[in-house]
Amino acid sequence: MGEHIVTSFDDDLIELRARIAEMGGVAETQLSQALDSIERRDSDLAEEVIGKDRRLDALEHEVERLATQIIAKRQPMAKDLRLVVSAMKLSTTLERVGDLAKNIAKRSRALTATSPVRISGSVVRMGRQAQAQLTEALDAYVKTDVDAAIAVWRRDVEIDDAYNALFRETITYMMEDPRTISLGSQLLFIAKNLERIGDHATHIAEMIHYSAKGEAIGPERPKGEADDIGQTV
Amino acid sequence: MKDGDGALMGDTKVSATNVNVYYGEAHAIKDVSVEIGDKAVTAFIGPSGCGKSTFLRCINRMNDTIDICRVTGSILLEGEDINAKSVDPVQLRARVGMVFQKPNPFPKSIYDNVAYGPKIHGMATNKPDLDAIVESCLRKAALWDEVKDRLDKPGTGLSGGQQQRLCIARAIATSPEVLLMDEPCSALDPIATARVEELIDELRDSFAIVIVTHSMQQAARVSQKTAFFHLGVMVEYDDTDKIFTNPSDKRTQDYITGRFG
Repeated sequence: MGEHIVTSFDDDLIELRARIAEMGGVAETQLSQALDSIERRDSDLAEEVIGKDRRLDALEHEVERLATQIIAKRQPMAKDLRLVVSAMKLSTTLERVGDLAKNIAKRSRALTATSPVRISGSVVRMGRQAQAQLTEALDAYVKTDVDAAIAVWRRDVEIDDAYNALFRETITYMMEDPRTISLGSQLLFIAKNLERIGDHATHIAEMIHYSAKGEAIGPERPKGEADDIGQTV
Repeated sequence: MKDGDGALMGDTKVSATNVNVYYGEAHAIKDVSVEIGDKAVTAFIGPSGCGKSTFLRCINRMNDTIDICRVTGSILLEGEDINAKSVDPVQLRARVGMVFQKPNPFPKSIYDNVAYGPKIHGMATNKPDLDAIVESCLRKAALWDEVKDRLDKPGTGLSGGQQQRLCIARAIATSPEVLLMDEPCSALDPIATARVEELIDELRDSFAIVIVTHSMQQAARVSQKTAFFHLGVMVEYDDTDKIFTNPSDKRTQDYITGRFG
């Protein structure tokens, strides 16, 4: 798309996109380090993740301020309007991803106090999958790559499946050895957080599509069955 | 925007098919076809010289007054060809009223400005009838309360915004079916503009309104349908909601987002 006649309008939009990209980078790092802290049983790193969440909150406010200013000063239309609206939604989504990463870090801190279990490896693996989804969604945003966004959107079902597998595995584990229930519950919460992060990655993909095309991505997204509702093993 | 929904619009009031306009050698309007709905506001937008005003002026044959201007194609008002030999342009303009960019009240009293049309078209035979028409039109134009005590004062003594509303009152005094507005707010301040926009929204209950505007925000605010003109061609015509959030044509997109024009 060409440039605006008023070039400072372009500057505003570039600034807005840059802030979203920055938020994405921070959220990604937060998730990655929260997973590292589980893997390495590193409570200091978990602590660091918890502390850095403030940065995302601040960036969210910054995006809101910029977007409001653009609407007030430029009265964006069509593609520009959609870009601004989607930026506001993206900032909320990324802030939530940050909250979930922070929550994972808190639980990771609790995990370091217990003895290591094999199943935490499965949680980390699922986490890396969610992280990859997030990274690809954010890359697609930076490049405005609608096809890549659609690919991310379709792939979320894999995270749902991983979550269900992990859910069953953990329940089995807890049933075999009731002493692991407290630990297993922490892991279940972490897995649920990761599953939510996967959903947020698909939401980012939806926003990329909306911003570029002006319409929703398509019919109902392929979804895994929610095994954690109403049934156990 | 109240309801940009096409389904809420009335029937077709004006139907233009393959309209071409030439000013001498210059081809100003190229094959424009459009259906203008009744009881709705249709906005024409586009850069200067794109032909939107020229096309607007076809609808009440204002281009007849320009010697070198030639119009082809058909324009039907309620199914009737307005360019037919049997149609008297003066009668046509009573049915298709017009408001211009600069307020242009007659150098007469406020009362006479509004009463002039009904008088020459024989719509009122006695003073009480005429008084009633004048009051009703000034009320519809949201001007009555401001001028009721000085109806005998010259219309030119009013403020710009009031003058424009007086011109609107004058335009609706002949009970037209269609109201054409060529940049009705471009000479007005924001408050007067808001008054006129509010008025347009009220008037669309009674008329088909076509407005040419340079302000895209104004088109977005007041209209239900929007047509984008560029280089004499009607590039896109759709629901206003659609045009300003997700236009189909790249040229429309570039124009409304301020990338050319």
